[in-house]
Amino acid sequence: MNRETVVLNPRLAWREIQGRVVVISPEDSVVHELNETASFIWKHAERGRNVSEIADLLTTEFRVDAAQAQADTEGLLAVFSQKGLLAN
Amino acid sequence: MNATPVMDRLVGRSMKGSVPLGVHFDVTYRCNERCVHCYLDHEDYGELETPEVKNILTQLAAAGTLMLTFSGGEIFLRKDFFELLEFARSLHFDITLKSNALMITAERAVRLRELGVRQIQISIYSAEPEVHDAITKVRGSFARSLQAIRFLKTQGLHVKIACPLMKQNLSGLRRLRILADELSVPYVIDMTVTPKLDGDTSILAMRNSADELVDVIQDASLRGQATPDDAAESVVGSAVSSGIESDAYDGIPCSAGHNTCYISPYGEVYPCVQMPIPAGNLRRESFEQIWHRSPQFARVRAIREDQLPVCAACNLRKYCERCPGLAHMEGGDLTGAYDRACELAEMKARVAGVANPLSAWHAQSRGKALAVRASGRLVQISQHL
Repeated sequence: MNRETVVLNPRLAWREIQGRVVVISPEDSVVHELNETASFIWKHAERGRNVSEIADLLTTEFRVDAAQAQADTEGLLAVFSQKGLLAN
Repeated sequence: MNATPVMDRLVGRSMKGSVPLGVHFDVTYRCNERCVHCYLDHEDYGELETPEVKNILTQLAAAGTLMLTFSGGEIFLRKDFFELLEFARSLHFDITLKSNALMITAERAVRLRELGVRQIQISIYSAEPEVHDAITKVRGSFARSLQAIRFLKTQGLHVKIACPLMKQNLSGLRRLRILADELSVPYVIDMTVTPKLDGDTSILAMRNSADELVDVIQDASLRGQATPDDAAESVVGSAVSSGIESDAYDGIPCSAGHNTCYISPYGEVYPCVQMPIPAGNLRRESFEQIWHRSPQFARVRAIREDQLPVCAACNLRKYCERCPGLAHMEGGDLTGAYDRACELAEMKARVAGVANPLSAWHAQSRGKALAVRASGRLVQISQHL
């Protein structure tokens, strides 16, 4: 999974607004507001980074250790997936 | 209706950062219907070309616009409409379409679903074909629009019926509600026929009087149904007329110019489709320049409810859906009062049990009329002497 590129659900509408990513699903009109960490992961996923790369960037940006960054990234991506925000 | 906490925060952040969160973009004024109440001139005086629209969409995405409404005129008359739509979706906009649906085929409905359009609002004026067709002046338009709704529903798309109320269709509103139920679509009504964009007010004669609207005011179910789609839609348009209560809108008349705006097919930017105050043209200036630096937007943003010269002191404010754009168009003053809002507020107050409700504007007008009559009598008396 770590080398797997994260692919966002292309059907979603989204925008970064004042530092937070907001996502709207066209199927149910649900609005998702991502927190700072989730927004960071979203933006890097959008740029085609894989899980390991995102975790590395998280380590630098938020000054957390590698294990914590990896766990946070995988955890948030699991939530994204559960909520239908990912294509894969 | 209260905004959801997420929407409330989103509205708050967009207001704080002056982000144009919602934009209503009329991509054409051309139309294949000739609705009797329409405020537009359907001639094409040189509408934006494909690259120009794409450039504007790119600017809007950079400015933070998330909710984009494509409207017209009839949007599908643009031969490049699907190209524009595809481009808009590549920029991740949340898309609502407003259409009469005459040109929506089964194939186009499939394409709209594939592109991730969130909602399509379709104008239906009556459940009676002859009434609808008389309003659109296109024979068979009712049947074609209804067929299109079925195509869209088959694709699982969210469809909403929009019905402007006027003298021609008021009596059929209950049957329209039944039709909407049968189609399993929500509907919204609009009690406001607006003056034409060129200032012509002749179409206002089609408006129902406040007295004629008493049933609609008394029976909330006649005014349409809130849907989950509205949650995401709530930041677009008037904070007052949308019925959404958000702390972020406290103290201002509406969202126009604060986190929403309107773009015409000629690239003109207005605070709102109902506020024809051109703030700049995207053929000559960037969106960023117009949004952040135009004096027209600055003026609209400076208006505060508690500083409205007449309305601030009106004791019917809680019943009033005063629209600054209509105040400008009908009364000539963005901050002023206008008869239509006062009449509807008085009717709502009466329905709510207020005895002899009188708006501040009407009280003032009557006071002046009495003073004029009184001074007239004094003149007559002095002539007798």
